[in-house]
Amino acid sequence: MIRTLRYYMESGTDPYKNLALEKYLTETAQEGVCTLYLWQNRHTVVIGRNQNAWQECRTTELAKDGGHLARRLSGGGAVYHDMGNLNFTFCVRTQDYDLRRQQRVIVEACRLLGIPAEISGRNDVLTDGRKFSGNSFYSHDGCSFHNGTLLLNVDMANLGKYLNPSKAKLESKGVPSVRSRVVNLCEQKPELSVEMMEKAMIAAFETVYGCRAEPLCSADFDQRRLHELWEGFSSWDWNYGKMRPFSFSCSAKFDWGEITLEFAVRDGLCEDVSVYTDAMETEFVAPLREGLCACRFAVEDLCARVRSLPECGAVAEDLCALLREQDI
Amino acid sequence: MTFPEELKYSRDDEWVKMLDDTTALVGITDYAQSEMGDLVFINLPVAGDACEKGVALCDIESVKAVSDVVCPVTGEVAEVNEELADAPETLNNDPYGAWIAKIENISDFEELLTAEEYRAYRNC
Repeated sequence: MIRTLRYYMESGTDPYKNLALEKYLTETAQEGVCTLYLWQNRHTVVIGRNQNAWQECRTTELAKDGGHLARRLSGGGAVYHDMGNLNFTFCVRTQDYDLRRQQRVIVEACRLLGIPAEISGRNDVLTDGRKFSGNSFYSHDGCSFHNGTLLLNVDMANLGKYLNPSKAKLESKGVPSVRSRVVNLCEQKPELSVEMMEKAMIAAFETVYGCRAEPLCSADFDQRRLHELWEGFSSWDWNYGKMRPFSFSCSAKFDWGEITLEFAVRDGLCEDVSVYTDAMETEFVAPLREGLCACRFAVEDLCARVRSLPECGAVAEDLCALLREQDI
Repeated sequence: MTFPEELKYSRDDEWVKMLDDTTALVGITDYAQSEMGDLVFINLPVAGDACEKGVALCDIESVKAVSDVVCPVTGEVAEVNEELADAPETLNNDPYGAWIAKIENISDFEELLTAEEYRAYRNC
């Protein structure tokens, strides 16, 4: 039974630090205590625990625009975060986990702001039939969290720009994202700010659980542990590598011939590359195949490899252009 | 809910089927799958990995949460049921047929329960 409420609002917007803090607040949860953690990520695509980064996100485009890709611990689909989105996490011991009650906090917060809201299924909170909050869940070693987004004023154009690339050429096993019609709460209440939502969430938290919530102080956090968690969340291995093997292919026609590249990717690295071409000059094929093996499956890394191969000289720029135009 | 007599059960809701003194199949119980709800993904362990009793063997994503499968024995992963990667729902439909890993060179066990004890422990 929850007897103590705590809350923490993080002002930093580094997604990897924020995810580290979410894990930290969860793994240190004590029986009878519920912690509400409120946080924001700047310009980030967050993918679900078991998703393929390239399948869900135009990673090249996102990186070019200075965005981040982050994998969270909980399941479900890919989302886009910016400063118009507020994230919440309820961190508890598993025996204190109560999804319906936690979700009532969101509905109550909206009620306090004069916005109608209703729970839909397990994962969504809607206003006027449209989704403004997607929820996901995690349980490990006796501790659990329930987190979610609150779309207040997110740039919807970016949401479409970075998510949902065409998947035709990528074959992978993982959890697919479910596309929903989403809405910003500012459509219901134009003057709504992040600060207003934060205040409403904490007030609603106290109302639903019937006691006062005390703020946590970051000076009490174990900085060494947070740094260790941050290293994990910001690593290439966690964000890209942690995925079952998959394959990707792309092809194009140039004035020197047609070419198809097939990549077998494992742990985020090109394990095997096949090159098919009807070009007359094929001396670049074997060096290309060998040169790309063990390269990170990231467009700029692949292009750098291609350009470093003397045998590819004449076709290098065409190959780089082909790689750059892929939806990955 | 069924709990076959010939299996042993852990308090973390895994079943163990001994093939010989040091080799066993491991999976999740009917209770575990029903608590987790529809499974959408299993992050399978890798053959050759060492595994330790009480430590996560792999994780499973269901519509309710991502959660760990806690290894009930200490040993080595000899084989993995790769079919589950394509069809995680088999863990819901046939929890005792859907073994996750075959563990060999088993040197230690968690305290395991009989079917009757497990049923009483989970009160079902």
